[in-house]
Order: sequence, then structure tokens, then C-alpha cells
Amino acid sequence: MLAPGGILMVLVIVIPVALALYISLVDLDQYTLRQWISAPFIGLQNYVEAATASPMFHAVGISVSFALIVEVITLPVGVAAALAAQNRFRGRAFVRSVFLIPYVLPAFVVGTVWRTMLQPNGVVNNLLDVVGIDGGLWLNGPQSYWALIAVQAWSSWPFFYLLVLSGLQSVDNEVHEAAAIDGAGWWTKLRYVIFPYLRGPVALALIISFLHNINSFTLPFVLFGVPAPTDVEVLPVLTYIASFQSFRFGLSAAMAVFSLVLIAIPLAIYLRAVKLDTGDEGPKR
Amino acid sequence: MTLELDKEQHIEAAPPRVPRKDDPVMRLLPRPLMVAIVAVLMLVVLVPLLYIFMASINSDVSVARGDFWPSEITFANYASIWTTVDLGTGLFNSVVVAGGVAVVCAFVAVSMAYVLVRYSFFGRLTILRALLALQSIPGTLILLPVFVIFSSLSTIVGVQIIGTRGALFVTYLTFALPFSTWVMVTYLRGLPRELEEAARIDGASSWLILTRIIIPLSWPGIVVSGIFAFLLGWNDVLFASVMTNPETRTVAVALQVFGATAEGGAVPIYGQMMAASLVCAVPVVVLYLVFQRYLVGGLTAGGVK
Amino acid sequence: MKARKVLGVVAGAAILGLALQGCSSDGSSGGSSPEAVDGTGKTLNVLIAANTLYPTEQKAWFDDVSAKFEKETGAKVAFETFASANDELTKIQTSVLSGQGPDVYSLGTTFTPTAYSTGAFVKLGDKQWDQVGGRDRFVPATLGIAGPDKDNEIAVPLSSRPFVLAYNTELLAAAGIDKPADSWDGLAEQAKQLTTGDQYGMAVAYADSFDPWKFIWGMSLQAGNPLVDDGKATLDDATTAAAYEAYFGWVTKDKIVDPASVGWKNAQAVAAFADGKAAFLPMTSATSRVTLDQSAVAGKYAYALLPLIPPGETKAPGDSIEAATIISGDNIVVANYSKNQDLAFALINMLTTPEQQKIYFDTFGEMPTNAEEAEAIQGDNELLAPIVDAAAKAVGTPFTGAWGDIQLALVNVVVQSIPALQSGSISDSEIESQIKTAQDAAQASLDRVK
Repeated sequence: MLAPGGILMVLVIVIPVALALYISLVDLDQYTLRQWISAPFIGLQNYVEAATASPMFHAVGISVSFALIVEVITLPVGVAAALAAQNRFRGRAFVRSVFLIPYVLPAFVVGTVWRTMLQPNGVVNNLLDVVGIDGGLWLNGPQSYWALIAVQAWSSWPFFYLLVLSGLQSVDNEVHEAAAIDGAGWWTKLRYVIFPYLRGPVALALIISFLHNINSFTLPFVLFGVPAPTDVEVLPVLTYIASFQSFRFGLSAAMAVFSLVLIAIPLAIYLRAVKLDTGDEGPKR
Repeated sequence: MTLELDKEQHIEAAPPRVPRKDDPVMRLLPRPLMVAIVAVLMLVVLVPLLYIFMASINSDVSVARGDFWPSEITFANYASIWTTVDLGTGLFNSVVVAGGVAVVCAFVAVSMAYVLVRYSFFGRLTILRALLALQSIPGTLILLPVFVIFSSLSTIVGVQIIGTRGALFVTYLTFALPFSTWVMVTYLRGLPRELEEAARIDGASSWLILTRIIIPLSWPGIVVSGIFAFLLGWNDVLFASVMTNPETRTVAVALQVFGATAEGGAVPIYGQMMAASLVCAVPVVVLYLVFQRYLVGGLTAGGVK
Repeated sequence: MKARKVLGVVAGAAILGLALQGCSSDGSSGGSSPEAVDGTGKTLNVLIAANTLYPTEQKAWFDDVSAKFEKETGAKVAFETFASANDELTKIQTSVLSGQGPDVYSLGTTFTPTAYSTGAFVKLGDKQWDQVGGRDRFVPATLGIAGPDKDNEIAVPLSSRPFVLAYNTELLAAAGIDKPADSWDGLAEQAKQLTTGDQYGMAVAYADSFDPWKFIWGMSLQAGNPLVDDGKATLDDATTAAAYEAYFGWVTKDKIVDPASVGWKNAQAVAAFADGKAAFLPMTSATSRVTLDQSAVAGKYAYALLPLIPPGETKAPGDSIEAATIISGDNIVVANYSKNQDLAFALINMLTTPEQQKIYFDTFGEMPTNAEEAEAIQGDNELLAPIVDAAAKAVGTPFTGAWGDIQLALVNVVVQSIPALQSGSISDSEIESQIKTAQDAAQASLDRVK
């Protein structure tokens, strides 16, 4: 049963990654693109350049910290939303669907809308003026980092919401009844009875959302443009510029691979810690 | 041999009806808190959405200026989006490709997850970890290599692959599978084993267990992984822009045209862009509205007894 | 060769397939005569920018061109559109990589050097120039970015979108100003007179991804600095620093632009001018007519050449390059891998006749590159005459594969300076250090040119 999916993944993901690895070891740019097979082999030179002469580390730092902060914000929001949308009430279907909208809107639309709203004389600053705060510059300078976090959080909290909502469905009715019989208050019930069921989905959501946010390209690209202000120079925009605007495919592949390796280490540690892969969490039945 | 379990053990083989009453026992949050959360979140979501709507009925210059409330109201944009780009074809292609991916992916993911969760074999953990690792690969890294592979396949097989819906379908399916599988893995881990064990004792084959027991019980997980797969196909721009031709263009690529700016020229057609975005978000939301009723709990209620 | 062995058999077939396709086909293929090309049953694939201002008209134009071409040669034309320059670049990359894709590309002029550096497009020899009606057919300035030199050209000019200054005739008349100054300093002075209340002298888009570098380029060239001189980047010259200082000075010292403009993209600058809130809109092109004619300034605006005298001078210095605008517009190129090259040139020939150029101008508002047609417009159309004039005084951006990076570096100086601009002042040393970064990046890119 694993074979068809496996073959597809090898063909469409694994082999291209191997090719990309090869490209990272080669001097592939606009001048050598046409005869890419005979592009000169330069070994680790791209990696050296990525590490020493490019803003790669800075970009990795920004991407990682940004992804972590977005998670910290969206996790409680998503959980709260799922808890609130779980029980039956009038209009629940409508609310559940509306909650999904920020995640459904294409990233480039979200970026354009927020960019217009965050203009110096835009909607956001006008609203802040009403309460007497000078908004300042959101799309450049130090505040742009927080603008990016806010917009990404706005568009990605439904991700947690969806996964937690599906996790909530696996809670048996008997469990609820038992908690009621025991006279548990709502917070106690949540903490000791419900949350253990959510450990699996939340652990998965945390790591996937982390990876998605690190690789999130369209939103920062549309919000801030190219070249990006240094405060929001995220990794995907950097590799995109290197690859598709400067035509430096070898360098860009090296940057991407390097960062993947950098990220893989904390990832492996995380997997170990939450035992996500072996599945030794969740309530005993 | 037919499955005789149905009569003996009354296993729920179809999604259950939504409980009609708000049972206080099932309540997760106190009413006031729940209302507060819903109200705040609805506001957070709907205000920017309102802005999108306002912009779609406004003039482009006004949107460029940064106005929230329209200076002049016009619904013409909703008509012109269909001719500015071939939005109808785009919607059709997107629905076909993304919808197909969602359905196929959800079910392949269930079967793969089932094998990975219930069976123990050499390399199981490695595969699980590899599936997770695949999620970390950025699209920009493999865009050109994927294109190269497909075009060389074209040359070898002699059939044009790039530009067909099939190529896009296969690409999206492959990208969506690792995550969907993982969603199902986490979901399946939460299911009680007793049902399957009983079925197995009765001699049911794996295939039967999968289709008669696992899938019906996993509707929440299937819906969620289906949605993610659908969204991946619906919103992807990078791969769609290189792997489609005008007939197979998806809606995500068509939308890009609305955002195009001529260097130093006129103002972009913001109104149409916003109108098109709303129109394109509608199918997904509608689909979710339809399927969210499967996101209900208590599926195993009574099943174990 | 170790890498290839590592790839092994799996990639072997792919490599073989690609190698067969990657073999370059030379420009002078085919044995058909240059005059009549027979393409019965064939389809020519053309990649062209999607026109969001005139979408239905563009579709009609596609059908029209295909019908006319079919009558002429028997071959149809299938058009494919791209949304942005980035999309087109990506498409070029994938096509060059795989050796299959559109036969004909319509390229932005500033991207022609990058396309040239891939070596994937047909070089225009005498035969090809004959096929498209000869070089004399075109406005001479538009040929400036067809290739690095006359012997290595790949691009035929298709349409022209020169950059000019738009000004509000009413506001200028009210202030007693006859016409915009011909020097940057003079323009700033006039703008000061025109700045009162919430009305500003100029509308400038500092946060745009494309506008800023054109100012710096223009001012530098006018001061005698071509930015790239024989493989060396000359961004660190005093003239470029002066250009940035003047450009930034409009918001920090002269205060002739809206303070909010540090966050503006081109659209916001156009909107401000269209609302009558700014007297000058520098760095705009003829397509702005579409917005302006439907706005508050309809009938009250005119175009003029951008200033030709650099900041700090009262007349053009001796080594000044009279650059009114970059050579801007679309070039048309034919891919090396195309199997229909003669057909492609026949199409280009058709599209650059005075008749077709007139149709193109009437439909899309873009200036013709055909000399005859350009002259006709200059005579007939008072509003657009300055634009035709600008096209004749256009100078090409340096023709090097490194230009994309140099352009990015020039814009980057502005992007990283915006926080300082917003706070109200930027020191010369800050500008200097940003320019140094740009200079290093530009030189590094030039050093990589093969």
C-alpha cells in the first residue's frame, strides 16, 4: 500500500532534490544554463560563498525567529478557536467556515491587502491615529519585522484551528461524561482530560507550521518587495532573488541546502522530544 | 466472503448525524468565554475581508490612495474580471486539479497512514521521519529540477507532459501526500484498536478493515487532510506558472495577472484583483461549509460495545 | 566527472534526452527564401506580457494578428501571456533549460541583456535584419539595447514606453511657471514654489521596486558617469552620490514631496498626482494616460522631457550623456531552439510595419518603434509629442548580464535608506556606506560575467 505514494514521492521530490544538490555543487548561472550538464563542477565553492559572502545566516536567523514567534502566537489562538467552534450552537457552520478564510485566501492577495492597509497613510495608521498612536513605518525599518509576524499570524492561525478541531473529534463521549460525573470544572477538564488528546495534532501542527513559515515566500515578497529591507530579509526571498533574479542557481541551491541542514538539527531534537515519530503520547486507552 | 460484522456488532459505517442538543456534558468552554472568542476572531477575520470587499467596489485610484470606504461604488469589477483573464477556465482547471488531488490524496494518505501506524516493519520510523523531512523542502529549490525531470520524461516517452493537467495533478499530489499522511497518522493513533482487532479475529482482510472500519471512523481526519491538499493545489503559483499553458492555467496563476503593474504606468487594477480574490475564495469556503459537518466527534460512540 | 557518476543511471536517460535538446541550433537554418515564408499548418508560439489595461482589446488583437498572419503565411499564431517580468524570467529559464517553449518572446528592454547572456536567442545577422525590413525602419535610439554591439544583436524593437515627466498645467499656470525646468535643481526650485498646504511639488515613489534606480541612472549619466565602464562598476563615483543626495534631499531637505511617499509604490504616486495633490510626476510613461484621463486632472496635465542637466550643475557638463530616459519598451526575440525561425521573423516583420505599429499604438497606447509611424504621431498628437521626443533621446542601460544585479543594488540603497528618510534626515556617510555595498555587489556581478 505504500508503493504508489512512495514511487510518486521519489520521482517528484527525491530525485529533484538530488538534482538540486548536484546544482549546488556546480557553477550554474545564466551563462551556463543552456548547457547545464556541462556546467563546471566547483565543489563546495557555492557553500563557502553562501556562508561568507551572502546574507544567508542573517536570513536564516530572521526566518527561524519569525517562524517561532508566529507559532507562539497562533497556537493559543488556534486552540481557542477550535474549542469555541466545537460545541453546537446556532450558526456554527457559518462561523467554522469564516474561521477558515484567512488561510484560504491566496498569500499574494493577503500580502497586497495588508500592504495597502499598512501604508504610511493607510487604514491601520488612520485607526491608530484615532486612539492617538503614531503608527510609523510598517513596511520598512524595525517595525516591518512585527508587521510580517502580524500578517503571517493573521493568515495562518486557521491551520492550528483545523488540526486541533480534527483532534477534538477523537475524544469519546464517555470521556466527557466521566468528567461531568467527577464534577470537573471546565479548565480542569480541558487541562487534564482534553488536552492529552490534542498532544498529537498539536505536536504535528507545531513542526509543520514551523517549516511552512520558514519557507513562506509569497507573503514577505508581496508585502515588502525586492530587494527586501534588512529587517525582513527572510530566507526564501533571498534564495528566490539569487535564483530567479540574479540567475545564480548554484549559489541559491547551496543556500537552500545549507539552511535545510541547519534546520534539520533542531528538528530532529524536537522529534525526539515529543516522540512524534514513535507516537508514544496521547492517552492510554 | 461478506463481512458479517455489520449485523453482529452494529459498527457505524456512515458519518453520524450531528447531535441536536447542546449537551452541557459535551461543553468544552463556558458560554461567555466561547462567545467572546468567537466574536473577537470573527472581527479579526472579517475586517480585512470587509476591506477587500470595499476595495472591489471602489475605483482603482481610490484604492491606491489607501481609502477604506469607497469614494464611488461600482460593481463593474465583478463583471470585468471574467474577461480580463480567462477566469472561468482558471476556476474550472483549479477545481478539477485541486479537487482531484484532494480526493485522491486523502484516501491514499489514509491507506499509507494505516500501514505506518498499525503495522510494524523495518524502516517504518525512517519512512515517518522522511515524510516529515520532505515537508521542509522549499518549492523554489526544486522548481527547476522538477521541470527538467518532466520535460526529459516528455522527450523519452514522446508525449507532451508539461502543460497538461495531469502533470500538475501528479506534482500537487506528491507535495500534499507527506502532510496528509501525517495528519492521518496522528488521527489514527487516537482511534481505539478494539474494533479492528475484533474484525481481524473474525477473519476480515486488511482491505475490508480499511474500507469498512477505518475510513468511516476517520472522516474528520480525511476532511482535514483533504482540505489541506485542496488548498495546496488551489493556491500554488510557482509550479502552476511554469507547468501550465493557457488552456490548463489554474486560478492562482490567473490571479497574478491582476496584480501586474506596468512599470511607471497606470495604477494596477486593484478593484478587479480584490473582486477576483473574493470570487476565488468562494469555492473553497463553500466546500468547507459542505464538508465541515463531518468534523464531528463521538464517531466511535457505541462502536466498541 | 565524479558528479555524473554519482547521479548514475537514473539521471542518465534524462541527461541524454536533455543533451539532445540542449544542442544549440544556429541562427541561419532553413532553406526557404527570405521573402515568402510558407507555414501552412504550423503554429507559432509567442510569449507576451498580459495587458491589464486593455484585456479584451488584447484578446481581439491576438485574434487579429493570427488571422492576418495566417493570410500571409498560412501559419497561425498562438499567444501566451505572462503576468510580470519575474514570471517571464522564470519561463525563460525553464524553456532554456529544457530546450522547448515559445518560439518568440516579447521582452522588456532592460531584460534583454540577461536574455542575451543565456546565449539562447538567435543573433540577428544581415539575413535576419532583411527578414524584418531592415534596420533603417526603426527609430535609431530604440536599437540601442538590441545587443552589446552591432555585430551581436538579438532583439528587434517592438514598442516603446519612454519615461517622461507629467505635470499639472493648472497648478503651474497658477504659480506663473511656464514649463518644467530642464535641470534637476531647477525642477526642485519650481517644486518648492508649488508646495503649499497639502499640495506638494512632486510625487515620488521611494518604495517602488523599479522607479528609484532610473532617477539615479539618469542623473549619473547626465553627469558623465555611465555606471559601468569597460567591465568596471563606477557606482562609487561622486556623481552617483550626488544623485542619491538630490533624490533623498527632496524629502529631507527640500520638503517638496509628501512625507508619506517614503512608503509609496508607483501606484500611490500616480494617485496623488491624479488627485491634483502634486504638481510634477516624474518617471511616468504614456500608459499613465489611462488613469489620468479618468481622474481629477483629466485635461489638465501634459508631458515633458525629464531634466537633462544633473543636480549641482546649471548646464550639462562636457562629458554628459544626454539621457532623457532609459530605452524602455518591449523587444522581440527568437529562441534558438525554435523550429520555426523564418516564420518567427516573418511575424516580427509584420508587427513592425507602420500599419501594424499604428494599430498597436491605437489599441494599447504604446509608442511605435517604426520610424515612419513615430514621426506621424509626433506631428499629430500634441500630448504625446514630448514622449516621442524622449524616445529619440533614449539611452540604453549598460548591456551586460550583470545589469539585473546592478539594478537591484541601486534600488537596495534606497530601500535600506527608507527608515532614515522617514525619520527626516539621512547623513552623507550613511549614503556613502550604502553606495559602497552597492558598488561591491555590482563589481562582484560584473566579475562573474563570462
